[in-house]
Amino acid sequence: MLAKLMSFLLLGIVRFLTGSQARWYGCPPKAEQRIYFANHQSHADMVLIWAALPEELRSITRPIAAKDYWTKTPFRQWITTAVFNAVYVDRQATPARPPAPLAAEPVGVLEALATAASDADTAMAGGPDPSPEAPPRAPTPEELRAALPESDPLAPLVRALESGDSIVIFPEGTRGHGDEPQPFKSGLFKLAQMFPQVVLVPAWINNVQRVMPKGEVVPVPILCSVTFGEPVQLEAGEERRPFLDRARRAVIALREV
Amino acid sequence: MNNFLRNLTATQQVGALFLVMFGILSVVTIWAFVRNLREHASDDPESEARILEAKRFWGLLKTSWMMASVFWIGWVLGDTVATVLFAIVGFFALREFITLSPTRRGDHRSLVLAFFVVLPLQFWIVGSKHFDLFTVFIPVYVFLALPVVSALANDPQRFLERNAKLQWGIMVCVYGMSHVPALLLLDFPGYRDKGAFLVFFLVFVVQTCMLVQHLLGRRFPHKPVAPQVSQSFQWTSWLAGVAAGGLAGGLLTFITPFKPGQALGMALLACVAGSLGHLVMKALKRDRGITSWGMQGMSVTGAGGLLDRVDALCFAAPVFFHSVRWYFGL
Repeated sequence: MLAKLMSFLLLGIVRFLTGSQARWYGCPPKAEQRIYFANHQSHADMVLIWAALPEELRSITRPIAAKDYWTKTPFRQWITTAVFNAVYVDRQATPARPPAPLAAEPVGVLEALATAASDADTAMAGGPDPSPEAPPRAPTPEELRAALPESDPLAPLVRALESGDSIVIFPEGTRGHGDEPQPFKSGLFKLAQMFPQVVLVPAWINNVQRVMPKGEVVPVPILCSVTFGEPVQLEAGEERRPFLDRARRAVIALREV
Repeated sequence: MNNFLRNLTATQQVGALFLVMFGILSVVTIWAFVRNLREHASDDPESEARILEAKRFWGLLKTSWMMASVFWIGWVLGDTVATVLFAIVGFFALREFITLSPTRRGDHRSLVLAFFVVLPLQFWIVGSKHFDLFTVFIPVYVFLALPVVSALANDPQRFLERNAKLQWGIMVCVYGMSHVPALLLLDFPGYRDKGAFLVFFLVFVVQTCMLVQHLLGRRFPHKPVAPQVSQSFQWTSWLAGVAAGGLAGGLLTFITPFKPGQALGMALLACVAGSLGHLVMKALKRDRGITSWGMQGMSVTGAGGLLDRVDALCFAAPVFFHSVRWYFGL
């Protein structure tokens, strides 16, 4: 009840300030399982996508929240679980790996995703998939899922997708500062491999960084929009880097629509 | 008939005015609806253009309905609510303006100031009838305060340009718009509680002028005066529009505190200000490379921006307000 009220209030505020207009260009709003991936410029990205989705989709679409920040106080925990129905991602989940350059901000949600692959990414940028154990045939999605260790930052997302929810991710990992989004981290690719039936919808979030730049507390009213594009598919045998670049181009292309 | 109207109380008179207005709107809407039903069959280019024209007309009609309803609600609920309603319109107009005027990070605090301090304060000043402060608050005090806040943000890049844009937006969307509810609160001797008529008078003559100008410009196209800025602005249709607005004002004398000649003059003044202000806003839009202040290409609602509809009013209201106050010594 309280959560309903809170989400109502939040929706009102977001609409009042930004208009939070959804533009469905490549696909209609539809209750199928989806992974929305978008450019990441501001804390408010998550809230804006959440507000732009129609009511019916909002309840089955889960954003991602950094566990250490969003469970710190009861209120934060409540708002992420009860209102946003967020998936918690543990940012410090991979002690074995060198710590990825984590951004300090709390809602910069997908650092965890980035962590998983940042080292491999930087080493092999543009190159072929490393796959050291190189199995003779491509592993099935089920095998990939089963092989995922419980401590992997992707694990909570995988569980959410397995239970049939849609999720919203920001594959850049951290908030970008330039005009163009940064290269995508490989979390999107891994999820696409593990869940071939889930539709990957690119989204371009426009103008949000002007509403509330880093370090400010009061948002200003500026019209924002979320443009949803044509779904992207992982082709058979497509390598990671080409796929991620293609996905990134699909997001950037929506800016001009 | 006339006697009957005169014997009504002020409230009843205003009520009758709204009745007439909604009646006319309903008739026009039904007429447009019936006409729309007929034109759906063929798809040659001519009928396509007609459909586009019909769409534009629907947009105009929708705005008229919206504005009429806003006025009606404002009138029913009293001056305070009316002032708040116009403040909200100003807020949304300013939001559109700022969205399409690129700001930098350093402008954030000034934007906060503009939206959450200047705008409410200005309308509060209107509501509390501090008319002397009301006319100078933005041009004098805010004029200094905003660039100070921007300067403190320590970002000199394009400083003049950024601040000029913000000042402009505030002048048009807040200062201009706030003069409409101010009309409600003007105290003419022997004209108490009839401020709504004055607002209606202003809106009606300005809209008439814009409409006539638009229709004549379409029907009898001449060489545009400033084709880079506006393809549709021509002296002949402009003059005709202003004349039509003035005439409408002259005919509406009976709802104003003016004598016929005065009403004609005031209406002409408001029409000139409004239509030329609209032209100025067109130049701004052209500069930004857009055709409407609404979100680009996102006309889910079929309407352009709110600012496209109210910009003429934003320019006409201050001129009208000040000339009325000056002429009648209020």
